[in-house]
Amino acid sequence: MGRPAHRIESRRVIEAKELEIAPKTHNFFSHGILAEAVSLLKKDLLAEIRTRVAICAVGVFAFSALLLIGLATASLKDTQTISTLSGISRPAWDATSKMSLLWVLLCFAAFAGLAHTFVHEEEAGTVLALRMNAAPESIYFGKFAFNMILLSGVAVCVTPVYVLLTQMPTGSIGLFVLLMGSGCFGLAGTATIIGAIAAKAGGSGALFGAIGLPLLVVFLMLLMNASSTLFTVDAAPVRCVRDIGGLLSYGILIAAVSVLTFKFVWED
Amino acid sequence: MPTLQPDKIISKNLSEKNGSDYESIKSLPVPPLQGAAWKWSCGLLMAYVIYGAFFIANGAVGFGKTGNPARIVFFHVPSAILSSVCYVIGTIYAVSYLWKSPKAEIDIRSSIAMELGFVFCILATVTGSIFAGAQWGSFWNWDPREISIVIMLLLYASYLVLRGAITDDWEKRARLCAVYAIVALIPAQFLIWVVPRIPAVASLHPTNVLVKPSGTSMSYKEVLYPAFIAFTMLYIWMTQLRIRAWNLTQSSISRKARA
Repeated sequence: MGRPAHRIESRRVIEAKELEIAPKTHNFFSHGILAEAVSLLKKDLLAEIRTRVAICAVGVFAFSALLLIGLATASLKDTQTISTLSGISRPAWDATSKMSLLWVLLCFAAFAGLAHTFVHEEEAGTVLALRMNAAPESIYFGKFAFNMILLSGVAVCVTPVYVLLTQMPTGSIGLFVLLMGSGCFGLAGTATIIGAIAAKAGGSGALFGAIGLPLLVVFLMLLMNASSTLFTVDAAPVRCVRDIGGLLSYGILIAAVSVLTFKFVWED
Repeated sequence: MPTLQPDKIISKNLSEKNGSDYESIKSLPVPPLQGAAWKWSCGLLMAYVIYGAFFIANGAVGFGKTGNPARIVFFHVPSAILSSVCYVIGTIYAVSYLWKSPKAEIDIRSSIAMELGFVFCILATVTGSIFAGAQWGSFWNWDPREISIVIMLLLYASYLVLRGAITDDWEKRARLCAVYAIVALIPAQFLIWVVPRIPAVASLHPTNVLVKPSGTSMSYKEVLYPAFIAFTMLYIWMTQLRIRAWNLTQSSISRKARA
């Protein structure tokens, strides 16, 4: 009936024995996960520089969406107000709304391109080689770092243009960068684990979006909360730490749970 | 120097999987709380709740002229609580599938909890929307708890989408769905505990009414507490029905395979 509980653990060892090579043992610091993750990251970056598939997908998507948003919102003025149900009247096109549209753009851009990292390995048939040569944790960290670099690169290119186009205020520059960094961290963490699940499920980009975007709604709400703090003039430092820390902690939680569960996705 | 033989390994994996326990499960054991007595007591209690909601509980102050919209609490609140409890139950099964016993039975129980959670989530959304229409003047207000329940609905739906998308290998489906359930538990918990309390968004929903002694009047308590018990019994009964339905499907499949 039931399989042995440690079957999934020992798969890599069994495969190594079949091929008469010694199974690798892993430790995060002394020759192990960190070194493997770095070499995987190098490999992915090299492949990306050669083919430029993911960066083109994400970049073109982000810039086209940017243009669409700019066109659609060109006539909106800061002075128009809407009244919310709780009776507060607020500007319809304020800094927080601009920030939320920027992040909606980045989320969709990430989901247009980041599935590629795992789907590519499945399509090229390199999964088995990768599985035998590296621990699942290293794979996760390597892929996560790659996605993080890609996303940060796109954010660095897109954000200044967006700020110019919509005249979005940035508040304190240091906090703004921290907010964008925390946002990219959470987004890359979510996209990595969902990308792995979608690639294993043999799904297309549609599946990736369908199972990934609901996870991002809460993340976007935390982001909006943090950005409203960012745009509050003279916000108390405690409030900044609480709201941006809350956003960062969400990303860390997702990444931590992903590391714990990634081996079940990766090894079959 | 050994050569890579991926074909050999892959074929070995497949042959191992063919002997897996998914086909060998003829029927799942139905939980002990079953039978006609359970069904009748659940039905009687539910009948009491429906009667009590309209004839025992008085109209509440602050809910229109008659106070009648407040009666939704007996159906809306238990389904909303059940919809989040089901997610936790499904995730507990998912954790136990991954780390403790990777059996088909656990996977199916997890999926049943998710399916029922989806049903209760729809019920909570619809009843809440009807109440909002009567009380707040609009069927949808972007209240934090309304947002929470609709995202919860999306999370359930995407779990079921993922389950439907993998058809070739039940083991893979079980593993991926379990991982997805665990990852999605983080936003689910944020939705239940954090989002309704974010200061930036004022909620129309009352908070902590049930735990405050003065939150509800006596006539409400007389119906509300039985309502919680009735809905819990309903959930257990529906789980049994779902397991029996699964057993029937399974036995018809194996009968066809034999023929």
